[in-house]
Amino acid sequence: MFGKGLLKGLSITIKRLYGPNLTEYYPEVKPILPSRTRSSMVLEPEKCISCGLCVNACPNQVIILTSEKDDKNKKVLQTYHMNMGRCLLCGLCTEACPTKALKLCQVYENAVYHREELLWDMMARSKQANISSGKVE
Amino acid sequence: MMIEGTQEYSLNMGPQHPSTHGVFRMVVHLDGEVVTKVEPKIGYLHRGLEKMAESRTYTQFIPYTDRLDYLAGPHNSLGYVQAVEKLMDTEVPERAEYLRIIFAELGRIASHLVMIASGSLDISGWTPWSYCFRDRERILDLFEMTAGNRMTPNYFRIGGVSQDVPEEFMPALKSFLEDMPEMIEEYYGIFFGNEIAQSRMKSVGILPKELAENLLITGANLRASGVQYDVRKAEPYGIYDRFDFEIPVLYGCDTYDRHFIRLLEIQESKKIIEQAYKDIPAGPVMTKVPKVLKPPVGKVYHRVENPKGEMGWYIVSNGSTKPARVRIRTGAFVNVQMLPEIVKGWKIQDLVTIFASMDLVLGEVDK
Amino acid sequence: MDALNNLFVNIAAAIRGLFADSHSFGADLSINIIVFIMLFLIMVVAALFLSLVERKFAHWVSQRSGPNRLGPHGWFQFIADAVKMLGKEDITPANVDKFLFKMAPMMLVGVTLMVFGVIPFGEEMVAIDLDLGILYFFAVSSLTTLGILMAGWASNNKYSLLGGLRAVAQMISYEIPLIFSLLGVVMITQTFNLSAIIEAQKTIPFIFLQPLAFLIFLIAGIAETNRAPFDHVQGEQEIVAGPFTEYSGLRWGLFMLAEYGNVVATSAIAVTMFLGGWYGPEFLPGWLWFILKIWLVIFLMMWVRWTFVRMRIDHLMHFAWKILLPLALVNIFLTGLGIYVYDLFIVRIGG
Repeated sequence: MFGKGLLKGLSITIKRLYGPNLTEYYPEVKPILPSRTRSSMVLEPEKCISCGLCVNACPNQVIILTSEKDDKNKKVLQTYHMNMGRCLLCGLCTEACPTKALKLCQVYENAVYHREELLWDMMARSKQANISSGKVE
Repeated sequence: MMIEGTQEYSLNMGPQHPSTHGVFRMVVHLDGEVVTKVEPKIGYLHRGLEKMAESRTYTQFIPYTDRLDYLAGPHNSLGYVQAVEKLMDTEVPERAEYLRIIFAELGRIASHLVMIASGSLDISGWTPWSYCFRDRERILDLFEMTAGNRMTPNYFRIGGVSQDVPEEFMPALKSFLEDMPEMIEEYYGIFFGNEIAQSRMKSVGILPKELAENLLITGANLRASGVQYDVRKAEPYGIYDRFDFEIPVLYGCDTYDRHFIRLLEIQESKKIIEQAYKDIPAGPVMTKVPKVLKPPVGKVYHRVENPKGEMGWYIVSNGSTKPARVRIRTGAFVNVQMLPEIVKGWKIQDLVTIFASMDLVLGEVDK
Repeated sequence: MDALNNLFVNIAAAIRGLFADSHSFGADLSINIIVFIMLFLIMVVAALFLSLVERKFAHWVSQRSGPNRLGPHGWFQFIADAVKMLGKEDITPANVDKFLFKMAPMMLVGVTLMVFGVIPFGEEMVAIDLDLGILYFFAVSSLTTLGILMAGWASNNKYSLLGGLRAVAQMISYEIPLIFSLLGVVMITQTFNLSAIIEAQKTIPFIFLQPLAFLIFLIAGIAETNRAPFDHVQGEQEIVAGPFTEYSGLRWGLFMLAEYGNVVATSAIAVTMFLGGWYGPEFLPGWLWFILKIWLVIFLMMWVRWTFVRMRIDHLMHFAWKILLPLALVNIFLTGLGIYVYDLFIVRIGG
């Protein structure tokens, strides 16, 4: 009796020793995340109607937006900031957005060196082509 | 016992220690290597979730529920959304109910896998640890492809689930279920069947049935002490009454049984998921609920069987958009009190094993 | 083949030939210095490489790739590790016993190096051909206990002290079955000299005559080198890193060096006593066979380490005193019986 379980364990490890390797070579080979993954936010300012629903939906007051009324009495987005240091990436803001201007995207290398850099200017970021496309290059 | 002139040795384990599973701290009093007394110190991960709930709307609090027991996010959310639905008398579509069961049980499997993994790691079983995490990864991938996040899916909503599963979900779930018997055999072969592991865990840290009942221990720890009690059977919530599954119970009361019952529960969860996979109907996943939720004045208590123990949600509504009071009864918090009772007289390395067998998650203990 | 076989012996002879009198004091001294440096390099390279192989093995077993950045598939990682270890800050905490704290790692490495002195890597390739080689091996390697206790005591840390005391309990207990398991071989060969023991295995390695002793030696050897499933001295899940908790930088590196050096030394003794040392099929030189056999034993030790979990400390003691020691005694008895019967047989046939 004593020893049977030990031999079984040894046979499992030796089998796995010659088995395939499941890990990824991360920085060289980047994983393709599913299209629903919530790892970053992206804004399309043209679609935004400055309704402020995202601001209300957010549990943490991450979003700060300002707008001005133009001559047709229509709101125009002026600034749109997200304080990512407080963001849970829960996606409630994107669910609230009526025009789907605010979207989730799969850019996941979001680390920065300074706390101030966590305050994202979403309008400036949307001008950077690779981020606004929402896809990992 | 103690020779005159010798002293007790007090050792501070944690909050940074390799095997306190987070930021748990215990002050251990030692006579040689024999534990005479343990004082658990909790609160290093206290985030004030109950207070946070009061300052957020009902929907806004859902992401936070995932962070209670962060190893099994869906089941905490399940308790919360069902409590609010009870308060508001909301009907949930059939498909959403089934999806909720699938997710909650997948979360239970993931949580139990982590428990087995860390239990083996605490007695230096590195290889079983990585096998368990390897398979848990597939569950997390399922969460990610559906809900968008791995450990904190934020998938359930009041009145349903956030979105339907993608089309690749069901085949992936099926292949995972098909591979499970092989995985369980592997865990048994390398960890549970290993005689060294058995000699290490068997008859260590006895939690007798009476003590477990008196300390209000719930969850798998109670069932390993010979009490067949599970909220899923005792007071079925959601659609648990439609599934055919057993409540495993073991009578060893020791560390080995507290580990082994998790393996049995994984098999029962697999049975539930298989039935849900077979019966799941097509249809909507979200019922019509108003954009701004204002439950009627009243209070509700709802309890669910979280992987760590019984979880209760007590919500008081004053008719506004935010709850007046939320009280969370978490299983792990109550289970902490068994630690000082059962480690007396064991050695310091048994303390580590016993602590692992309790399956604490500090997010749930400290809230 | 003969040239390859005697490569190092010939080099040594050539160096001696540079002196007027090849056995003068100067020749002996310079040969000894060269041998010492060689042994040190062997130990350092073997230990560093072993630390990499161990990580690779652990990762392969758990279906990961292991270190994979430096060199082809990460096989040069150990160089980076050594450089990193040299460059790290060496912290001596306040309130430690400074003398013992600094002595302990040096002593451990010194002791490990002394063990290497008697290992015969090939025919006539032994630094000091002692007649009491085995006895010397045990006498020196048991000093390791003292080094670990010194580290544990001097660190002024509760985890370290627990680790140091565990080391004393465990290593002294396991030394006894370790010694007793080798007595069978000594009874057959009638010598303590390691080279002579290998010579005696020219026809048949002693693992076939003493399988039980080999098993006992392997188990006790794993315990003696503090590897899982007997790694209570470090036991990172319980006492963080045991006696090494407070060490950093190069001093910590020296501990690791000593630990892996001990693994190599214990494997080398196992090869010498049971696996026929440098004898093997003719297509490879003897010293290469010796190294390959060492790796075989190390592979066994790693395989065990990454499969099993740590034993309970009271079971550990029971295992040494109640199972291994009686088994070793039974082995000695059986060996004596075998020699007696063999002698009778030989006398009958011969007479």
